[in-house]
Amino acid sequence: MQALAELKDQIRKALPELDVVIGWQQGYDALHTRPLFIRSEEDIDKLVVNEFCVVNPSSYLREMRGGKKVGLVLKGCDSRSVIQLIQEELLNKDDLTIFGFGCNGVLNHAKLQARFGDIGYIESAESDGNTVNLVVAGNKETAPFAELCAEKCLTCSYPNTLQCSHFAGEESDKKAEAAQDKALEEFEQLSMEERFAFWQDQMRRCIRCYACRNACPMCVCKDHCLANSRQPKWLSEDVDVQNNFMFQMIHVMHLTGRCVECGECERACPMDIPIMLLRRKMAGIVRDVFAYNAGTNAEDTSPLMRFEVEEPTIEERH
Amino acid sequence: MACKFISNEDTNKWLEALAKDHVVFVPVEDGGSVTFRPFAEGRKPVLDRMPVRSPKEAVFPQTETLLTYKYEKDPENPERTAVSIKETLPRERAVVFGARPCGTRGMSVFDKVFDNDRIRDPYYATRRENTLYITLACDKVESTCFCHEVGSGPADTTCSDVLLTPVQGGFAAEAVTERGGKMLEASFFADGGDKCAEAEAVKKATREMLGEAHDYSDAPEKLMAAFDDDEFWEEQAAGCINCGACTYLCPTCYCFNITDEPTGTTGKRVRTWDTCMSFQYTLEGSGHNPRTVKASRLKNRVNHKFAYIPDTYDKHIGCCGCGRCIKSCPASVDIRAIVKAAQARSVKKESK
Amino acid sequence: MKANPVLPDMATVMEVVEETSNIKTFRVRFDDEDVMNKFTFEPGQVGQLSVFGSGESTFVINSSPTRMDYLQFSVMLVGEVTERIHQLKAGDSVGVRAPLGNAFPTEEMKGQDVTFIGGGIGMAPLRTLLVYMLDNRDDYGKITLLYGARSPQDLSYQEDIAEWIGRDDIDVVLTVDNPDEEWGKNPHEKVGLIPNVLKEINPDNSGYAVTCGPPIMIKFTLMALNELGFKDDKIITTLEKRMKCGVGLCGRCNIGDKYVCVDGPVFKYSELQELPNEL
Repeated sequence: MQALAELKDQIRKALPELDVVIGWQQGYDALHTRPLFIRSEEDIDKLVVNEFCVVNPSSYLREMRGGKKVGLVLKGCDSRSVIQLIQEELLNKDDLTIFGFGCNGVLNHAKLQARFGDIGYIESAESDGNTVNLVVAGNKETAPFAELCAEKCLTCSYPNTLQCSHFAGEESDKKAEAAQDKALEEFEQLSMEERFAFWQDQMRRCIRCYACRNACPMCVCKDHCLANSRQPKWLSEDVDVQNNFMFQMIHVMHLTGRCVECGECERACPMDIPIMLLRRKMAGIVRDVFAYNAGTNAEDTSPLMRFEVEEPTIEERH
Repeated sequence: MACKFISNEDTNKWLEALAKDHVVFVPVEDGGSVTFRPFAEGRKPVLDRMPVRSPKEAVFPQTETLLTYKYEKDPENPERTAVSIKETLPRERAVVFGARPCGTRGMSVFDKVFDNDRIRDPYYATRRENTLYITLACDKVESTCFCHEVGSGPADTTCSDVLLTPVQGGFAAEAVTERGGKMLEASFFADGGDKCAEAEAVKKATREMLGEAHDYSDAPEKLMAAFDDDEFWEEQAAGCINCGACTYLCPTCYCFNITDEPTGTTGKRVRTWDTCMSFQYTLEGSGHNPRTVKASRLKNRVNHKFAYIPDTYDKHIGCCGCGRCIKSCPASVDIRAIVKAAQARSVKKESK
Repeated sequence: MKANPVLPDMATVMEVVEETSNIKTFRVRFDDEDVMNKFTFEPGQVGQLSVFGSGESTFVINSSPTRMDYLQFSVMLVGEVTERIHQLKAGDSVGVRAPLGNAFPTEEMKGQDVTFIGGGIGMAPLRTLLVYMLDNRDDYGKITLLYGARSPQDLSYQEDIAEWIGRDDIDVVLTVDNPDEEWGKNPHEKVGLIPNVLKEINPDNSGYAVTCGPPIMIKFTLMALNELGFKDDKIITTLEKRMKCGVGLCGRCNIGDKYVCVDGPVFKYSELQELPNEL
């Protein structure tokens, strides 16, 4: 892959000035990559870029504060979280070097699992952005990309890394499969009662492991999240529908106008709870009300972080 | 072991019969994942996928009420508020059906910790005594399976009462315990006949799929030798996001929190799953925390399973090899690789 | 071990003593006289104090088994549970789970000199042993107490201290970081860090040293004791960890494969050195 060779080259050149470069390396099987922390020349060759580079490397930035010079290999969607963090002055952009490339989309493990049985039985899966070729229990299978990709890829408008210092390979001209989020649209066809019942059932499944929170690049409170606070106490340690729902709503509310819809929360959820529905709904409202798209312009200010007596995008009813 | 046979059709009838006087936990499709839920109408058991959640929850639920309390004005002295408490021991009888041998084996760690010469936890012990395990041997393996490396295997009977092995048209059934033997006296079971040989072939074939087993026997001393090697642990923990998915889904992780959860003048004291991966787990009242960084927390999780438990309980590895922590980890942290790296690390050091 | 090791016995607060601005001492008795009469413990063992609705927290039983009128706990205000405990008044109900953990080796220490070095709230575990030894005075050699706090107002157990100073079978030295105008008029009142004052006192190193206090104070006190020539297996300390169950199940107070709640809280320095470095 041309881009990968170029990326490695760019990283090799930049590494002497950097403390670490975060990217991806092959994981324990063909369907998994894991984060790679490049600190020396010999680490560079471990870098991989493929349809399983699902982790958003910018989630590790909150551990890297304090003047560390950090390089990041980012997909387009990942780069939006960095822009949002810079905007909120949670990061200093001078400390960052971003290595970009054109992304053809990533695959979704939950969808693979739903279609082919347990993920561990799938021997390999490769995608060119249109078709996925798999080997499952010795048999060759093919499926359209759109049926197995991450939900966010279906509506992706940023297949190329934004505001990067280096860009490797060709830009991706991958177009969104749909302008509208179909899953959300379908969900909103349901009655209020049906929707509430849906969430109650989903929240019953939550185990409060906080993978969603910890995988979120925007959850910067880290070890001091109010979900763990006993004084004041917002949540009971009881793992039940009510408390789980409360936690998930806290998470969504704290991301209003900040969530860049990278989907890490939902991907990290071991129970595959579709919590991105909540975030996409919230981001949609922010777009409608404030004409604001989080993580696309570092000079902007998130709508809930500023105050104007008359919001230009809101028509007052007098 | 005498072997019997039950057809697929009769298995369902058996479950229905068991459900009359037990809560029967079965793996079912649950919002895209497979979890254990009480057998009920419309819930079809899913037996060809490993449940995401582990079978521990039947005897060690995520939330267990230890006691309830109530504040009341003292009728003789209105100035004084009296409090009364009530012990809430569990009573239900349960069956766990369709757990994999690795998951059921997880109970062996609980048994050692919660019910021994020194202490008997009545909540755990009561549930454990009232719960039967009907375990399902594996006929497939996944990339995350390593039961054979930690003293278990795809047909391990540890902690099971009955072991089922999938064969043509149903299951070969073997009683492991006396109470398991009683269960197989039900009318749904026929003599095993040649199904027994078929079952043995399935077990053998699955074991072969797993390949050769890595030897973890020197892991305790190698891990302890690496204890102060911060660089090693930081490298191993670099990708970890410190969530609790690994520990909550683990069949052997038993650590818990105890908190009071009030509702007005009444309330309950609950025990809930806790995770050593969290910052709060060891945070002391003074603000001091012996494990401030994620590397030291990951180290505790790995060491607990591969060093502390084997050291305390006669070399019994505190990991059952089910691979849930690997498979469900958002960052694909692989506990096998970490222990192996610790073992290799010492080799490297020694050869210098 | 009781049938239900996590179920507390009901008890009533008999008396509350305000020790310092953030430390209160609570004297409690079990409601069931039978429980009270049968209750035994050894110096150093701890108990879990419950205020239902807020939770449980671990404290050393700092009264002595030689005086069983009540069980005494001293509580420093630090968090959710201790805040609620500090609101307790005489007559209020609490839950108590005790005794838990190990104890000081009182048998082994017989016939020997004992030097107590306590800092701040760390005086609590020393108090139980000190009172026990004073009540069995003939069993032990020379007893020395060095007790330090930030200021004179931060010294707990004023009543006890006054009594001890009056006795001729115990040497008492007090030290503070921030003295007031009154401080220093008596010869036993010093100014300075505990390890430094300890070196100044220079106790006989053939006996036992028992120390407890904030982690940083313990660290330097251990170094000072080493310097003074105390043997590692005769230096005794008590550890603090976040605890929940107190009976070796919940996991959080582990240091390697040891649990502070059952294998501790009392450890010899020689034992600490065997543990992984995770205090």
